[in-house]
Amino acid sequence: MKKNPLSLLTIASSKGRVTKRYPFEEPLMTSEFRGKIEIDESKCIGCGACVNACPPNALELLSSSGTKTLRYFIGRCIYCWRCIDVCPVGAIKGTREFELATDDVSDLYELLIHEEAKCSVCNSPYATVRIVRYVATRSPSTEGYVSMDPKCRQEKFVKAIEMRFGGLSA
Amino acid sequence: MSFSDIVERIKGVRGVTEVVTSRSALFITATADALKPLAMEIYQIMGGFFRTCIGSDERSINNCFAIYYIFGLDDRGLNIVVKVYADSKKPELPSISDIVPASDWCEMEARDLFGIEFTGRASYRLILPHGWPNGVHPLRKDYSYDSRPVTRAVSERLTLVDTISTVPIGPYHPALHEPEYFELYIEGERVIDVKYRGFHVHRGIEKLGESKLTYQQVNFIAERICGICGFEHSTCYAQVVESAAGIEVPERAKFIRSIVLEIERIHSHLLWVGVVAHLLGYDAGFMHTWRIREHVMTLAELLTGSRKMYGLNLIGGVRRDIDLSKKEKILEVLDTISKEYIELASLMVSIPQVRMRLKGSGVLYKEDARKLSVVGPVARASGLRRDVRKDLPYAAYRYASFNVPVYDDGDNFSRLMVRLDEIKESISIVKQLLDQMPPGPIKVEEFIVPEGVVAISAVEAPRGEDVHFIITGHGRPFRWRVRAPTYQNIPALKHMLKDQPLADAPLTIASIDPCFSCTDRVLVIDSSGSKRTLKLGWGLG
Repeated sequence: MKKNPLSLLTIASSKGRVTKRYPFEEPLMTSEFRGKIEIDESKCIGCGACVNACPPNALELLSSSGTKTLRYFIGRCIYCWRCIDVCPVGAIKGTREFELATDDVSDLYELLIHEEAKCSVCNSPYATVRIVRYVATRSPSTEGYVSMDPKCRQEKFVKAIEMRFGGLSA
Repeated sequence: MSFSDIVERIKGVRGVTEVVTSRSALFITATADALKPLAMEIYQIMGGFFRTCIGSDERSINNCFAIYYIFGLDDRGLNIVVKVYADSKKPELPSISDIVPASDWCEMEARDLFGIEFTGRASYRLILPHGWPNGVHPLRKDYSYDSRPVTRAVSERLTLVDTISTVPIGPYHPALHEPEYFELYIEGERVIDVKYRGFHVHRGIEKLGESKLTYQQVNFIAERICGICGFEHSTCYAQVVESAAGIEVPERAKFIRSIVLEIERIHSHLLWVGVVAHLLGYDAGFMHTWRIREHVMTLAELLTGSRKMYGLNLIGGVRRDIDLSKKEKILEVLDTISKEYIELASLMVSIPQVRMRLKGSGVLYKEDARKLSVVGPVARASGLRRDVRKDLPYAAYRYASFNVPVYDDGDNFSRLMVRLDEIKESISIVKQLLDQMPPGPIKVEEFIVPEGVVAISAVEAPRGEDVHFIITGHGRPFRWRVRAPTYQNIPALKHMLKDQPLADAPLTIASIDPCFSCTDRVLVIDSSGSKRTLKLGWGLG
């Protein structure tokens, strides 16, 4: 091609319009796009694995009396989907949703409230009801221990050892 | 000089107490007195480059502060790390900035963030804002990551000289993409001196990585250090932890990393070419470059799940594989862009106005480039053959054959040509690697990161070499330091802008492809007294 500033006109006319008429047309997006996450209420056990993995603290587990709340704040989410990688029960699913702008910040919060289990001995809350159920079904042999908080569990275990072997030699 | 000669020469310096050799680095412990002779030996006699220096608060381990100086003998692919202890009560070390001018910034960074004083040089505040209280050093371990000291607002104005025209640009200015502050001193139409102050967007990322996040979480934050070359940062971070922990990354993961790194380089260089066209007033060129770039962005999304901030890296490997259909798509896109971009690039450089503006402007001479240890296309346009992909091969680069384009003029035109050539090389690298990609797993899941291991990793980002340094800790890095390429290149602007017409200044500033948020993880002023009768001092520090 002959080098001439006007050659750009040839390139331009051969390419035509490349911009999309979004939002009246599908946006430029591939099948692999990572968007907002969705947490399946029926599957989530409130274990907090996603909270530990989440780099920007978009997922938080908040405790209040009798409940544990998993809070997803879209405003902080970086759409990395690490939570999906680590969820032990497959409760989190990725979507291709990205049109999340809003004029009300409360639209950006999603809450999932879990009931808290209380220790059968000392009555203090220690985990969500669903985790207890999850552990009990996955590992039935823990039945005698799973309904207690870690401290009571430890005590019961030490007592059981003492009963059987006559004490723990430190 | 053979490897054993190097070790012998270093052992011969008085004050060197320990020399440990590993596969790609020499770790030296020395007393403060040995610092200057060592710098002389490595930098002046052996011809090494200076990568950076890193302050570290090790009072909890050995009751001392420490500084790690990293030199690189690029031609033999060797890093030399010199560790010097500083007293915990009165940390003070001799400055090496007279021997190694490139160490100016990192010494001041250690002074601001750790309170280590450097003797034998002028000190000034670099990283911390001027209104930050004295004696508060945020990277010390006894300073909590969520503390917020009371600061006062102080003017950004660096000097008040009435006798000379000053053109302040920034920190917030419609023509700047990121907050940064330049003060240009003008005589007639010519720039006679320049001062820079940056670090307005210091986000404390290193502190966060050292006190809040876990090893795997840091990957994603590291990626957010830079909006354009984020993947280089996350790769560099992943590699540094992998090397500290001795994790063998599967070959396939290394290939995927290299392929995505090159795709990022292509998009970054196209972006830059567009910006330069725009600054030249050639907006048609800008539009068309970015039209071509859009194909690369969509491709990146297909491969990684996101146009930018790929979220692909984990320590131990990558998260998404490249299957056959994606491979075909990559080849298709590469064919399209290589045809279209060559057509456009050759047209652009043939336009007389474009050539006239770029040729001979913003010259950085080879001696200055070497003195400041500049990196990336800026170094290669000034005749320095430096490229981490060749010098210290990482990921899968040893399987690809490619040229490192080098130009000798050191002007803006050379920097354009280096990048245009590099796009061609990158396209060829991706094609070669796709052909040779081995089958197998893409990550290792199980590994343990031992505590107290020091490691360095370098990655060639589009803007130059990116260096990550780590001292491993319990569950997270004990010390993590990032040296972005622009950090090394900004001091060179002073030489490039001097005696240039004011109208070329924006172009020359853009020619280093500056990325201020990279640089500003932590803050900056640049100036040494001008040779004229200006008394500009060292800022307000």
